[in-house]
Amino acid sequence: MTTRTRETTRLKPHWSSIFENGTGARLYPYLMVMPAILIAIGVVVYPVVSGITSAFYDVTLRTLNSGDMPFVGMRNFERVFADPNFMRASLNTVIWVVLNVVAQLGLGLALALLLHRIVPGIGFFRSGILVPWVVPSVVAVLTWRWMYDPSVGIVNEMLVRLGVINDYHPWLGDTATALYAVTVESIWKGTPFVMLLLLAALQLVPKSILEAASMDGASGWRMLWHVILPQIRVSFAIAAVLTFILTVNNFNAIWLMTEGGPLNSSEILFTLAYKYGFQRFDLGRASAVATMLFVGLVIATTIYLKLIQAKEAD
Amino acid sequence: MSTSSSTRETARDRSTASLRRRRTPKWVRMALLYAGLWAAFIWCVFPFYWMIATSLRAKDEIFARPPSIVPHAITLQNYVDLLIGAQFWRFALNSLFLTLSVTVISVLLSVTAGYAMARHRFKGSVMLPLFMLYGQMFPPVLLLIPFYIQLKFLGWLDSLYGLIPVYLSYMLPLCVWLMRGFFAQVPHSLEDAARLDGCTRWQAFWRVILPMARPGIVAVATWVMIHTWNEFLYASTFILSERNRTLPLGLSGLIGQYTTDWGMLMAGGVVTAAPILLIFFFLQKHLVAGVGGGAVKG
Repeated sequence: MTTRTRETTRLKPHWSSIFENGTGARLYPYLMVMPAILIAIGVVVYPVVSGITSAFYDVTLRTLNSGDMPFVGMRNFERVFADPNFMRASLNTVIWVVLNVVAQLGLGLALALLLHRIVPGIGFFRSGILVPWVVPSVVAVLTWRWMYDPSVGIVNEMLVRLGVINDYHPWLGDTATALYAVTVESIWKGTPFVMLLLLAALQLVPKSILEAASMDGASGWRMLWHVILPQIRVSFAIAAVLTFILTVNNFNAIWLMTEGGPLNSSEILFTLAYKYGFQRFDLGRASAVATMLFVGLVIATTIYLKLIQAKEAD
Repeated sequence: MSTSSSTRETARDRSTASLRRRRTPKWVRMALLYAGLWAAFIWCVFPFYWMIATSLRAKDEIFARPPSIVPHAITLQNYVDLLIGAQFWRFALNSLFLTLSVTVISVLLSVTAGYAMARHRFKGSVMLPLFMLYGQMFPPVLLLIPFYIQLKFLGWLDSLYGLIPVYLSYMLPLCVWLMRGFFAQVPHSLEDAARLDGCTRWQAFWRVILPMARPGIVAVATWVMIHTWNEFLYASTFILSERNRTLPLGLSGLIGQYTTDWGMLMAGGVVTAAPILLIFFFLQKHLVAGVGGGAVKG
């Protein structure tokens, strides 16, 4: 039975047998990757190149419609640097990124250590703690906006009851608190993903190392600092770079809660570029800001890839 | 202070520490652990609970001050209002159409590319996967502007079809990268056996390897679905008219300049999140494994 089927498959010529030898065999892998590569060139490579190029041209709705975009050299960059909002947005981006990365890594590590142990009901806690990661970002942001509501928001009510504040506060409408209020949402949303990455790393730490350390009497912090962290350092660094990239590119949180306001107090470079581009339709200037962000992210990505390779070599 | 006394001191410290640790009863440590777990659980789940609770309240209770943690009376009025409006179904159909198209196209394109990158040696077989990973990291704001210019030029602004290539730029590189990872895990021996049985290379791939890699393909497809369903930035920039809106866009459109119907908005949030949550908890194992395998989107 088996021999007969084998013979029939061998006898029946199949159109794909042209890939078995000769030119067909040499072309085969290229044909397999071709469609994806062509599309990627069209929708990734070309736009990136053309985006960087347009940072050096005067691209506005008017020049777009006339089809005549003059080359302006570095003038878009000069105009960006001359804008006081740009300095404000740069500073805010630094605050935004540092707060997010530090808090998400710290809380993510704490959560991973909590969820690492197998105790009754751990599956329930793990699923619950993944909820912020799973909820669609727009839905999460709008829910937080509602929770921050200045007149009937639950955040205000809870803080009043806890005695932290005396009266309801417009968290998103106050220039002093807007950026930090959005940061809290972003930390809430991003931490579970960091936790997942670190939990996966923790589960690879050999039990024998932990046991040997606790026999030596290392406890608590000392164990964490000298035994656990060195073991997961590569995953930790990968999580840090990823959080950095995701935070720089986090548009939804700021846009849907404050649109960078009030008075640019929560403006980051991403939202600033977006405003240049799609509110003032000064696409050249928007490209200049985007190009600067791009350079920063390429550096971060290069570090990330080096770390991944270090991990695979481990 | 001499070195010997300080060493003695640390040694004593350490012994008292271990003594103290031994003296801490197990139930106290377990109680602390569970207290921590519950605190984290409540912090993570509360906003989600609050969304559902708000969506089930009557209008006057939503705007009552102070807000109560547990709704006094439960009503489905917000859901009725939401689902009765023709808009909602339009948005949902738009989202569904986009999600299905982008998923089918990117899975079809990435399945062969991922396989070839995992199995075959050819010019660029080392560089291309890395390039794919880079493609994933490009800031969307940089892509936004050329896309806008191109779509305007082609007359595809404000069209769902125009969004498909835009979304492919966002999903395809990640898909290829993940597929490559999954195919690399399928043992070589299976393919060799199929080839010995007289299969051509293509048949070995199509009939033997592809079915083996099905869990991976399902995971990648789910990733694309979730991200396309949730996408907001590109849709909000390129979709101008109300009838072409996707669900996240429709939701954000419910925010009014002066007043917002939060009950209906939260009901919309629940309905938008529901399919994602269902898919996720159904396929949790695969997806979380995908994160370990090198997923790069949060």
